[in-house]
Amino acid sequence: MDHILSLIIFFPLLAGIAGFLVNKDSIRVYGIVVSALEFSLTIALWIGFDNNIDGFQFVEHASLISNFGMSYSIGVDGISLFLVILSTFMTMIALIGLNIEKDAKNLIISILYLEMTMVGVFLSLDVILFYLFWEFSLVPMLYIIGAWGSDRRIYAAIKFFLYTFAGSVLMLVGILYMGYFYFQQTGIWSFSIVDWQLLSMPFNLQLWLFGAFFLAFAIKVPMFPFHTWLPYAHGQAPTIGSVILAAVLLKMGTYGMVRFLLPLFPDATIYFLMPIAIVAIIMVIYAAMVAYAQEDMKQVIAYSSISHMGIIILGIFAINAEGITGSIFLMISHGIVSGALFMLVGCIYDRRHTKNMSEFGGLAISMPTFATIYGIMLMASVGLPLTIGFVGEFLSLMGFYKVNWLMTLFAGTGIILGAVYMLTLYKRSFFGEITNEKNRGLKDLHGRELVALVPLVALVAILGIYPKPLLEPIDLSVKKMLVLMHKKAVLPDTQDFILKVNTIKGGE
Amino acid sequence: MITLTHYLVLSGILFSIGLVGVMKRKNLLMLFFSTEILLNAVNVGFAAVSKYYGDLSGQMFAFFIIAVAASEVAVGLGLLVLWYKKTGSTDLDSIQMMKG
Amino acid sequence: MEKYLYIALFAPLVGSLVTAFFAQFPKTLFTGIFTSTLIFISFVSSMILLNYVDMDTIVHVEMMDWISAGNLSIPFGFVVDQVSVIMMVTVTLVSTVVHVYSIGYMDHDKSFNRFFSYLSAFVFSMMILVMSDNFVGLFIGWEGVGLCSWLLIGFWYHKHSASWAANEAFIMNRIADLGMLMGLFLIYWQIGSLQYDIVFANIVNLAPTTVTWIGIFLFIGAMGKSAQFPLHTWLADAMEGPTPVSALIHAATMVTAGVYLVVRASEIYVLIPEVGMFIASLGAFVAVFAASMALVNRDLKRIIAYSTLSQLGYMFVAAGLGAYWIALFHLMTHAFFKSLLFLGAGNVMHAMDDELDIKKMGGLYSAMKPTAILMSIASVALAGIYPFAGFFSKDKILEVAFNDGSYLLWFALFIGAGLTAFYSFRLVMLVFFGEKVHEKLGFHPHEAKPFVIYALTPLALLAIVAGFFEHSFHEFTTQLLSNYEFTLEHSVGMILIFATSAIAISGIAFAVFKYKRGGFSENIENWGIYKLLSNQYYIPKLYEVAIMKPFTALSKFIWLEVDMRIVDSTVDMIAKVIYGTGEKARKMQSGNLSSMLRWMVVGIIVLLVLAIFYRPMV
Repeated sequence: MDHILSLIIFFPLLAGIAGFLVNKDSIRVYGIVVSALEFSLTIALWIGFDNNIDGFQFVEHASLISNFGMSYSIGVDGISLFLVILSTFMTMIALIGLNIEKDAKNLIISILYLEMTMVGVFLSLDVILFYLFWEFSLVPMLYIIGAWGSDRRIYAAIKFFLYTFAGSVLMLVGILYMGYFYFQQTGIWSFSIVDWQLLSMPFNLQLWLFGAFFLAFAIKVPMFPFHTWLPYAHGQAPTIGSVILAAVLLKMGTYGMVRFLLPLFPDATIYFLMPIAIVAIIMVIYAAMVAYAQEDMKQVIAYSSISHMGIIILGIFAINAEGITGSIFLMISHGIVSGALFMLVGCIYDRRHTKNMSEFGGLAISMPTFATIYGIMLMASVGLPLTIGFVGEFLSLMGFYKVNWLMTLFAGTGIILGAVYMLTLYKRSFFGEITNEKNRGLKDLHGRELVALVPLVALVAILGIYPKPLLEPIDLSVKKMLVLMHKKAVLPDTQDFILKVNTIKGGE
Repeated sequence: MITLTHYLVLSGILFSIGLVGVMKRKNLLMLFFSTEILLNAVNVGFAAVSKYYGDLSGQMFAFFIIAVAASEVAVGLGLLVLWYKKTGSTDLDSIQMMKG
Repeated sequence: MEKYLYIALFAPLVGSLVTAFFAQFPKTLFTGIFTSTLIFISFVSSMILLNYVDMDTIVHVEMMDWISAGNLSIPFGFVVDQVSVIMMVTVTLVSTVVHVYSIGYMDHDKSFNRFFSYLSAFVFSMMILVMSDNFVGLFIGWEGVGLCSWLLIGFWYHKHSASWAANEAFIMNRIADLGMLMGLFLIYWQIGSLQYDIVFANIVNLAPTTVTWIGIFLFIGAMGKSAQFPLHTWLADAMEGPTPVSALIHAATMVTAGVYLVVRASEIYVLIPEVGMFIASLGAFVAVFAASMALVNRDLKRIIAYSTLSQLGYMFVAAGLGAYWIALFHLMTHAFFKSLLFLGAGNVMHAMDDELDIKKMGGLYSAMKPTAILMSIASVALAGIYPFAGFFSKDKILEVAFNDGSYLLWFALFIGAGLTAFYSFRLVMLVFFGEKVHEKLGFHPHEAKPFVIYALTPLALLAIVAGFFEHSFHEFTTQLLSNYEFTLEHSVGMILIFATSAIAISGIAFAVFKYKRGGFSENIENWGIYKLLSNQYYIPKLYEVAIMKPFTALSKFIWLEVDMRIVDSTVDMIAKVIYGTGEKARKMQSGNLSSMLRWMVVGIIVLLVLAIFYRPMV
């Protein structure tokens, strides 16, 4: 178990390289087997994970450029554990559901490479390493959208690449300055997150560095008004690209916020809390309304992702255990639910070669199983209790309520608007008589699609009813982080604030 | 009395003439003349300032420039002759092979 | 006893899940019988628990942890106490009848199996709602019944109107649910727990404004589920669902969840009489408001739906004024006679080939005698005539209003009682008596199957006798709920009873008298007030014009104008500027030596200027 994390990171890469040697006809099976092995590795990691330790586990450390403190340093804690499992799980599911024949070999190798970068982002404890994986993740996605997408794929792919790249370059400047600052303060170079978290920083510097990091994360999330790359990327990407983009890549942004912004710059976090929360609320409502206006089924789900990410951000900036734990859980649940929804859209697109809702109608008659699974995912997406979607949304909003109740009320309208656009979508596509003859006699979901979707349905129910195995380790690590934030904050106001939002008010 | 200023003004005037020549003339040969004027304008300046400060390194630099200019003209004229033999023209506008 | 608790709770779930596997198969009678049996078992367990629970024995279990994060810890915990057991018995009893009835009613429907799966899922959600020992558990049931209501209203999803109504119901409830969620958050951050016992033990320590806010937020939730003004429009539209659904969900159980919430949180509401007064006032308003709409409607089911709305108003008056046990009592009796009324209406609909316009019926008595008798019993009970169930519970509410000194409320309810009696018998008269309009229109009504009628008899029986349980009910529930002290003198009370009975009887008499003679002339339909009422005060229209259309337009505007034209174009513009600059700057690289030399000169000049004017170090 000593090197399990390295194994988890590099196994997909090596398997991907070996994949060039695999016969074209068996590459699909190869991909599924590799991703399943990878997934079972992460499950083994979970089994070996000690729920009672709040710090990093399975830490590996090797110097890379020792003069400048850059190292190969990886580890996992409660916050990252389930995001890693989510990445490998969704990759496996996406590969099972894959049905692209054209250049399937290159596609699958790209996916495996992408898997490495995603896992790497979540496991890196060295910021330079983190940055490397962060940027590497763009490349396979660029190929996936650009090579296997729809008509405007080149535009969408380039927009995705340049937009997110522009943000992260600024982060690189921030990282380098932060490393330099660490050197100034301590006399040694280090890019280790753990080291950085212990360093107390003057307020002004925090503001600047917060800005540099935040922009990169905000574009990745994507936060309003930096979100416009996402609908294009989703609209043009093949199903498998959308699934992984929505399920995992967006979570890299919010993960970055939890991992970097909060513990590194606690004072700046509190300073910027209100503006960010306002933008997040605008994002929730705005994206929900835009989603309602869409004609294209996939775009509805793309915009709904933006709306849900807004709630995740609110949960993070609640700065209390309830909110942050909830938002991390919401990242996982949104990954599963939005991934499933994109797969479902892919299923209908394969049959009808359109995603336009006005072309559908009455699908519940011709494809009952499809309608049922879609319905379950839809209910999970609108956050019905006992589905996976409720737990995170409830906790995130509950956390933020302590910060500001009125803003929570506005953010809560996202719940209403979510029901509005989702139910409208469902009504337009699934209910009513079959008006378009092409929808009659469509084949219902079959083998491969069911194999991919049924585990997701099961997870939606199981984790909705019993989320405890996930919440417990997350909560432990989050609490540790909050203590750290409180300890290293340089302004007394910040400390008061953190204390305040984490206390239950007793009787008066 | 001829002071440093006079030399520098002369250098400036020469330099301007050279610049105008560089910009305006289309004949490659005239271009070489103009560059020579430019270089020599700088030489005048170097020599004058060197004298003014009593520091010989300025004049030394002027010599260097003269040497470099001579070799440049030698190579340049060689190329020019070749070009003329090939195309029958020394017009600048006929040389546009490196268009971006 | 925990065993019975789990049986009562999970039997419906088992039924639902097992039946779900048959959902896509053609009709199998097994599903109907299987689920009905399980619901009946659940009913029996509830009865056993009812016998078991008394002063100091309640059943309280914690099944397992659900959500825990930070200081928050929410278990799946269930409690069977005096309030929840009453609800359990009511819910399972009505559900059993409705299940059996549905076997007959849904006989010809091709989605027979799916229907029973949904119906049992609803019962399960409702049981969670009433049995939970904490607010979040209640919220699970709350949303669960919302989901099942969505599924069942939209059961005939091929009908546009049905799926529209389903969505409307779900979304309106969501609006209210947000209020409720806010209430839960507030409670949590004040008290640190969402368990009923802890919350109620600590609520007195909170500042009065906080408690007021909690009360308001929770009541907003109740308003949605119980379809109180202004969130009432969904209930009438929900009649698109199959009639057993209307009987079970939209009359007997789900819509009363709001009342249940107020009763359950009575320890919060006793602290804030101002909010209680607001609840009561809103209830009284809805009681009259809904009754007035029922007066003119021609749709069989909508009339009963408005009547439900009106009766919910009565319950809220009682709950708002602190007479929680009376609210609960009316909730129970209402469940019996209103579901009976709906199920009878279902028989009529079947007989009339799903025709709903009561003006097209008439004289059905001869064809369907048992149904006519059952519906008449239900209507008499609804009108509140001695000795039927409605008399006992409704008169108590009027008494409470009078006792409280809220004479305005009392008067509203008094008028409401008259209206109720009138519209109930307008319906009975138009459907069962008078001229046989249906014959002209070529309908051939027939009575429902005997077992369907037999299934209804328990409800009919209860609609007649349930009132006589008043004293034992009072004793039982006030073990948990605070008692309501009547200060009225006995004689005043008697006068009130006579006055209310008088107006109810005169309402009935007027309806019978008028409709025996062919009813009102056609030209009242041109009256302004008639139009106002039959258009439901133009409120649905207002919602459409003032909310739905602007929202759709705004959404389109935001997407096309803001998102595409401003946000996205800005991004693209930045890209275009950079690209365009490159495109322009490319011309510099013309390959022409003299133009390049010119650029060189420009560069020299720029550098010179910089060298002369920019001296950062000096």
